[in-house]
Amino acid sequence: MSSAITGQYHGKAGPLFSLYFKTAFLTLITLGFYRFWAKTRIRKYIWSATSGDGDSFEYTGTGLEKLLGFLFAIVVLAIYLGIVQMALFFFGLNLFTEPRNEIEALAQVGAIYITLLAVLPLLLFATYRARRYKTARTRWRGLRFGMDNGAWGYVWRALGHWFLTAITLGILLPRQTFWLEKYMTDRMWYGDAKFEQTGRWQSLYPGLKHVLFAVLLIGIGGAGGIFLESPFIAISSAFVGYIWLIVGGVYYRIYTFNVLTRARVLDGAVTFDSGARTGRVIAIVLTGIAAIIGATIVAVLVMGLVLMAALGLNFGSAASLFGGTSGPGDINPAGGILGGVLIAVLYVVLILGLGGLSLVMITQRIIGHVVSSVVVANAPHLEQVRQRAADQGADAEGFADALDIGGAI
Amino acid sequence: MEETARYFDGETGLRLDADLSLDTAAQVLTLCHPALPQGVQHWPLNALRALTDQARTDQLVMTLKAGHSYDSGLIDTARLTVSDAQMIRDITRLCPDLKRRDVAPGTARRVVTRLGLAVGALAMMIFVILPAMAGTMALIIPIEREVAWGKSIVRQMERILGGTEAGALICSSPEGDAALQKLTDRLIQPTGVEYDLNILVMNHEMVNAFAAPGGQIVLVRGLIEAAETPDAVGAVLAHEIAHVENRDSTRGALRAAGSAGLLGMVLGDFAGGTVAVAMAEWVLSSSYTREAEAKADLYALTMLDNAGVTTTGFADFFDSLADIESIMPDLPVYMSSHPETAERADAARSFAASQGQTKPLLTDAEFKALQEICD
Repeated sequence: MSSAITGQYHGKAGPLFSLYFKTAFLTLITLGFYRFWAKTRIRKYIWSATSGDGDSFEYTGTGLEKLLGFLFAIVVLAIYLGIVQMALFFFGLNLFTEPRNEIEALAQVGAIYITLLAVLPLLLFATYRARRYKTARTRWRGLRFGMDNGAWGYVWRALGHWFLTAITLGILLPRQTFWLEKYMTDRMWYGDAKFEQTGRWQSLYPGLKHVLFAVLLIGIGGAGGIFLESPFIAISSAFVGYIWLIVGGVYYRIYTFNVLTRARVLDGAVTFDSGARTGRVIAIVLTGIAAIIGATIVAVLVMGLVLMAALGLNFGSAASLFGGTSGPGDINPAGGILGGVLIAVLYVVLILGLGGLSLVMITQRIIGHVVSSVVVANAPHLEQVRQRAADQGADAEGFADALDIGGAI
Repeated sequence: MEETARYFDGETGLRLDADLSLDTAAQVLTLCHPALPQGVQHWPLNALRALTDQARTDQLVMTLKAGHSYDSGLIDTARLTVSDAQMIRDITRLCPDLKRRDVAPGTARRVVTRLGLAVGALAMMIFVILPAMAGTMALIIPIEREVAWGKSIVRQMERILGGTEAGALICSSPEGDAALQKLTDRLIQPTGVEYDLNILVMNHEMVNAFAAPGGQIVLVRGLIEAAETPDAVGAVLAHEIAHVENRDSTRGALRAAGSAGLLGMVLGDFAGGTVAVAMAEWVLSSSYTREAEAKADLYALTMLDNAGVTTTGFADFFDSLADIESIMPDLPVYMSSHPETAERADAARSFAASQGQTKPLLTDAEFKALQEICD
């Protein structure tokens, strides 16, 4: 065994696309019920495509347990949301009957925020639970990963960090990123070996440099534009600044991922390195978007041709009728219906295909890049790790499914 | 047939490159490695299970069927990865159950129990808690909000009926508007109405009328054209005004919003884009409770009586609708969402018998103008 392991990704576009297309179609015709199995099968593919030292990862979750977890979450959410909504309505009574207009407006804003705040803890809870479930259903070399129970601790910490970040206008964002990631990493296990997040939160600040630059560009450009009475300067700096801000956000995510991965330790002995590159990720996203746009244009053109063919068929039958060579029985209204059906089918194919393209061209390629940029040092120590007990995970990630969070995979 | 395969025992992270041989006579796959207990393991071919949806086609990851679910599926914790193409082909050929997914006993019962609980909780919310909340909410919601909300529902409704832009389906003509105004005034002035009514005519062949929250009432062209007398239009209008005054429409729309939100969660559409459409569709097919309908009927009859209008128009209209429905069965008709038509027509007729002197709501010329408001 080599002393350092570099991550490898073996996933291919074709098989994953057809797997996505197949499962998305099944999801569609089952009115969404198959989505638990669809997600599970996509994960099985991506996990099995990831390997270290030739040994593939494995995803052991099942669609069935996701469905059961979702049903459990539905019960809890129905009751919780019912009670919260009722409480809100009750307080709404007092808020809304205030006679003065500005107070009423304020009350409305307040009510909206209270509604959001009522769901926010649940969203955070679901985020932690979903990560715990995915971790508990991941294996490498036959050994389970795992995560301790701690969702409520995560909820109130995350709320506190978000509040601090918000009132400091984002200056404390690295602090939030670091401590929330540390909270989760410090509860993660590989077999009986514990992960630990070391390092300092201040070391994430350089990752914000492009965001800072974008904000300065927008601010100075806007001020300069007003001062010089030049809308061109204001608008162009706002435009460039906005694009730069998006790129800066990606840069921050990649930078913090690299820094945090380098400061991660497993079992006090195994260390990690990561060299993911922002430029590569942005190139993947841009080519992915280009592929999606190209596919859309082609599909729309094909639909147009089909429509024209169907209508042409009708014109043809009408012309033959006027020519007097045939009777009214030759009119073929089926042409229009056939065209309509074909268009509908093509539309569904397009929607499913675009989802598949986004998964294959963007998500999978980013995963591939990140996986192959991670290096595990002192790998022989991993042979001493032993199995951990299975985590039954009563709700799987039902809350995340019910609240529709969790992203692409 | 002898090859090596990577073996993990599921207890340690140690990788063993075990020698693999297929014993077709004993129907077992034999693993040999000095580090194994007794140096050898036999995996029965019919208990072999391959992992599914694997990305790599150049290897086969296998495990054994287990009697207990350690993670999720009924599979053992040990793993065996075969990379030799010939060996993969042989195993695939010799193991019929390789791709089988075993389900733990009692799974069906668990699914049914959970499904029952979830459906029960949702039904409880939709049929008990939401109606109760909607009832309270309808009484405390400020009128301005109700009006704004009703207007947005009417716009949605217009879109569903085929109006591409706001106001595209709204009919207006000077004489028609005047006739509608006169009809409304004569109806509401003697009784008095709490809401500031906003009555619109929509250009659509459907024979229908709706009440949205906040005094927003829509009469559809098909209904005005189907009516034989102005009193019949007045009767339908009085019925819809009753729904507005009793806040039935507000209550129903609130309930529809809540139910749509919950169902959106079940169907995986938490963003709630469907809520607005669902509400408008609910108003389109509005079905109130039987008590609410009876109350609205009584209110309408009283309102007509106060205005000195005969309620036979009400009865006649229900009769003529029954005719229309028999001619055009696929046309959505007013009465389809208002059951027991004959019974209600009889009630209106017997009410008419007790009425004193009556006078039509509009002159013939005015009624003609109203019927042609969309032309």
